[in-house]
Amino acid sequence: MKALTEKSVVAVFRGSAFLSAGAAALILGFLLVFGLPLFREGRIFSLVTTMWAPAEGRYGILPMLAGTAAIASLGVVLSIPLSFGAAALISVFAPRRWGRFFRAVFLMATGIPTVIYGFVGIFLLAPFVREFFDAGSGLCVLSAALMLAVLVTPTMTIFFVHGFDRTPRSYLQAVDALGGNDVQKLLYVILPGAWRHIIGGITLAAGRAQGDTLLALMLSGNAARIPGEPLESARTLTAHIALVFAADHESPEFLSIFVCGLMLYLFSTLTVVVLRRLEAPFRRQHR
Amino acid sequence: MRTTSTRIFTPIFALWTLSFALLLFAAAQAFSGDIDMFKGEKGIIRISGGTAHIPVMKEAARRIMAANPDINITIAGGGSGVGIKQVGEGLVDIGNSGRKATPEEIARYGLKLFQWALDGVTPVVNPANPVKQISGDNLRKIFSGTITNWKEIGGIDQRINLYTRDEASGTREVFFGKAMKKQKIAPSANVVVSNGAMKTAVAADPYGIGYVSVGHVDKTVHALVLDGVAPTIENIKNGKYPVSRGLFSNTKHTPTGLTKKFLDYMFTPEGQKIVAEHGFIPVK
Amino acid sequence: MTGWFSKTIRIFSWACGMAFTSIIFFFIGYLLYRGAGSLSLKLIFENTGVIDAVLLRKQVLGGLFPAIAGTIILVLLSVGIAVPIGVAAGIHMAEYARGRWKEALGFFFDILASVPSIVIGLFGLSLSVYLHRTFFPKLYPSLIISALSLAVLVLPYIIRSTQYALESIPESTRIIAPALGASRLQNILYVLIPRASSGILGGIVLAVGRCAEDTAVIMLTGAVAFAGVSRSLFSGYEALPFYIYYISSQYADPAELAEGYAASLILLAICAVFFGVSFIIQKGVESRALYGP
Repeated sequence: MKALTEKSVVAVFRGSAFLSAGAAALILGFLLVFGLPLFREGRIFSLVTTMWAPAEGRYGILPMLAGTAAIASLGVVLSIPLSFGAAALISVFAPRRWGRFFRAVFLMATGIPTVIYGFVGIFLLAPFVREFFDAGSGLCVLSAALMLAVLVTPTMTIFFVHGFDRTPRSYLQAVDALGGNDVQKLLYVILPGAWRHIIGGITLAAGRAQGDTLLALMLSGNAARIPGEPLESARTLTAHIALVFAADHESPEFLSIFVCGLMLYLFSTLTVVVLRRLEAPFRRQHR
Repeated sequence: MRTTSTRIFTPIFALWTLSFALLLFAAAQAFSGDIDMFKGEKGIIRISGGTAHIPVMKEAARRIMAANPDINITIAGGGSGVGIKQVGEGLVDIGNSGRKATPEEIARYGLKLFQWALDGVTPVVNPANPVKQISGDNLRKIFSGTITNWKEIGGIDQRINLYTRDEASGTREVFFGKAMKKQKIAPSANVVVSNGAMKTAVAADPYGIGYVSVGHVDKTVHALVLDGVAPTIENIKNGKYPVSRGLFSNTKHTPTGLTKKFLDYMFTPEGQKIVAEHGFIPVK
Repeated sequence: MTGWFSKTIRIFSWACGMAFTSIIFFFIGYLLYRGAGSLSLKLIFENTGVIDAVLLRKQVLGGLFPAIAGTIILVLLSVGIAVPIGVAAGIHMAEYARGRWKEALGFFFDILASVPSIVIGLFGLSLSVYLHRTFFPKLYPSLIISALSLAVLVLPYIIRSTQYALESIPESTRIIAPALGASRLQNILYVLIPRASSGILGGIVLAVGRCAEDTAVIMLTGAVAFAGVSRSLFSGYEALPFYIYYISSQYADPAELAEGYAASLILLAICAVFFGVSFIIQKGVESRALYGP
């Protein structure tokens, strides 16, 4: 009797694990099933390479791919130097107490709701960008990317800090023994040793940036065309899903947002694959 | 012992009395006017679609729910296209649209249309903009992207920031058909999701131009005089202002029960007064 | 290495830390400055009595109460769904899964954690529409659909924090109970889980914060512009983050905008409380950086 109970509890554990994993598979399955008509006719290729002009019967998502690429990459590029500087400060340069303070601030920043960044962005950043650069409406690639940089910087920084902190103490002592200073420690010992975490942090931030909906929706202007420069309006894949959300379920508009969903799913799977590759040696250590 | 219990029970009793009095007050309010018809009803009404309709719908829903707490009314936006499709799919009870449903839509979903107001669509600019009127020709040139500086139509030397609506918008359809004469709106235009958002965006952008439902115009935006005709209620009523449209609530098949009562309420004197108070033109 | 070079690097590093810190404090200060003045009971409950509102005796038809109540109900529902499944799955991962299966399951959880929330929202929407058309014509995008979607969203946090908390228990603690004759399950339930409780709790608290702040999922699965306090799992509802998004793009007058600022402050405070709690519990916090929004 007791063995039976134990068996069933263990079965519940296993069932929950497979149920949860199934959720990820189910999402992909749904995207594929709803998007099936597109695959069948091979239309998916024309969809990802053409423009969005429903009035003319074109439902392509090329502008949205370009918008996501522009906003996410600019956001990540802006946050890379910032995160490097901040991580070096927390992990190397700052005195103990200051290091703890900055660490707490960056951790706290990861807890601020995205919609609040967007809210502040609309009322502070967009008017500033409009007047400062004297171009466009302030709702543009740059505004969204700047706010996105603020959103992903804490994540990237914390990830870098984890990598920097793994440097074996003996290596650092060796630098001290040779009369090196803390900048030399950072450049010649810590950074080369933390390359996995550096690529990992950037990948993670890129995944986060391409999947963000609210900042792009609120700050990028949402014009469905390929942006030519940072001060132009653009629309991301995520914002496109939010904007076209409830169309008829057989309509080409709806199929088009499914392709957006599929693209986002594939991108995030790609980031996971990269991250797991990078983490692999640590995990083997851990086991 | 006695004193302790009194100390505890007095405030509770006071609160009871207070809330009971409030209930009575609410009930007394309920016993007046057209809201009476909702007495004893119960249930949910789901509404979505046209964003021009939202202020009127909200006010009606507030009054009905205040009079009868057993009724829940939910209101979502999305645009006319969304409203028509969702009601057709049976996802909502009432799908609003700021354009008349097309014959295909009516036939496909078995829609019943209820027009409870007349409205117009007007181009709007920021109040700080010195441009106060515009010709239809120039309007089309601006929105199609041919004119890109305010200077070209007698304004300041500044770029023109275009704002438009998403494809589900009825306001966009009406503007596209009647003001743009089906000329394509430039793809560089910023896209906003509702009449409210359009007004807010133009109110915040000194160089912006967009278009909203006439009922939504207030002092934060300036409605442009189009070809010498101001988009006023009189001009829409007498047909002088060309960019006009009806505000519709659509149901799948003939409405029954609570949904029917809600639509009936929109046509009562009280319902029509709400319509007028929000800047639209009542149909009765 | 020349002195000016080292100096430049150090100054740059300090500038980055200070710049980011001041941006964050500036944002919070700005919200406080614009929103604190308008925070009041009237803003939340409008003209309804507080007790009437909380006991659902009367509908609050203005103010922030419907949105706050909606968010609280939503969080309770979704965390209520996700916690039992997530913790059980986490126990399986830490104590039973081995080898290839563990790798494969972990891969799926990582994917689930990285799928953008709007895609999960799209999934919830299509699922509910599909069910509405086929099996359950009474099912609409609604509170329950949002809660299920959000549960999917936070599952990976709960699984991973449970798993890591259990895995970090040292071998010496693991072998005591079995040596005294306890079964494997007894060891897990009576020794390991209590030991790992702070880590598990940290994950749960973070999941709560994540549910409270998410906007992309709920805007597709049932959040609406107006609903009052919803009394059914199968109807639309109002929620704070959606309300903030809605107000930011279409406030009608300064009063509504003030409500938007106040709502932002309240949401920030709710998230700060949960974040503070998990900060005190400590262990879960840094995983937020890895499994964040």
